[in-house]
Amino acid sequence: MPKNLKDNNSERVQEILDVIMSYARFDFSKKTSVIGNETLDAIGAGVNMLGEELETSTISLKEKEQLLKEIHHRVKNNLQIVSSLLNLQSENILDKRYLDLIIESRNRINSMALVHEMLYSSKDLSKIEISHYVERLSKGIEHSLSKNDSSVKFSFNIEPGLFFDIDHMIPLGLILNEIISNSYKYAFPSNEGTITIEMIDTEQFYRMTVKDNGVGFKANFDVKRDSNLGMQLIYMLAEQLDGKVEINNELGVSYQILIPH
Amino acid sequence: METLDPPKNAIELSVFWTWMGEDGIARTKTKPLAEITIKEAVENSAAVSSLYVDRKFPLLIDARNIKSMEREARSHFSTHGRETKITAFAVMVKSPLSRVIGNFFMGLNKPAVPARLFDDETDAINWLKKHV
Repeated sequence: MPKNLKDNNSERVQEILDVIMSYARFDFSKKTSVIGNETLDAIGAGVNMLGEELETSTISLKEKEQLLKEIHHRVKNNLQIVSSLLNLQSENILDKRYLDLIIESRNRINSMALVHEMLYSSKDLSKIEISHYVERLSKGIEHSLSKNDSSVKFSFNIEPGLFFDIDHMIPLGLILNEIISNSYKYAFPSNEGTITIEMIDTEQFYRMTVKDNGVGFKANFDVKRDSNLGMQLIYMLAEQLDGKVEINNELGVSYQILIPH
Repeated sequence: METLDPPKNAIELSVFWTWMGEDGIARTKTKPLAEITIKEAVENSAAVSSLYVDRKFPLLIDARNIKSMEREARSHFSTHGRETKITAFAVMVKSPLSRVIGNFFMGLNKPAVPARLFDDETDAINWLKKHV
């Protein structure tokens, strides 16, 4: 092969490679030059057409992501509207029992709204990091249930990098909401104490522990007999995740939830 | 037998010639180094459809001189441009370039009517005769 033709072919192969690398970086602005009817022209034309197809697929994927974001945003907004309506309703209620029921319902709705809010704000629309969620959820519950003179504190020990999808996050959020709310309501008569939330991945299952150092259950408290709706929800939602709940009543109340991978 | 030299009465567009053969098979031929964008594709469809009188017909496309066909044009030919008046189409390819473009078109854009690539004109005509 003459040297100048060989050099020319090398240049063209390099040009085609450059374009392929651009496409790999999702930059579809480049195209290879097609100047004749030779094999390299054919390969170049094939690369160009592949780039066009990839660009169209990428745009379509981005549009779907945008749509998913929009859906999460709207679900969150709708849930917040329901929460606000409950808030408004509560202003006319004087009976503390009914008021508590409304606050409980509102907090459950907020725990779900937070999942949707974090999903549409995250880079990956399919999952969220649980440590960020737990901290924000705890703050929300504190804001809702803490009394003026309260000095209940939170301690978090959550393994970084634990991500869950929406099917796990909604039940987990509701479970956390119930346990933290129960601690706020019953564990600290003196409005002082600590709620500790831990989560680790044991490789067989995720272990979530939520405990308080409060007064514990009453002496004759029987979980099966005396469970309120909140406690029933904890068991029901754990079952939905194929998980197990263990409750310990020493030095406060401790819940351990085991969720299989 | 070569039947792909455009006759005098062929419709001439910027990158195509289009005409109806005596055998009831329409023909369209790309000019040398034809670059087909959506504009040329729509023009071609209109020219092919103008050959319709009272019955649908098969189409022989000579793409042996093609240089490029952009995505919108490929999509147009597979979904909109060929479904109303055409019963089937055969695409003639020869050079590596036309072969790549032809295969890409067939592989990614499922045409709405039967479609095949051919190297040989006689084979293409024989196949299209089944769709006259």
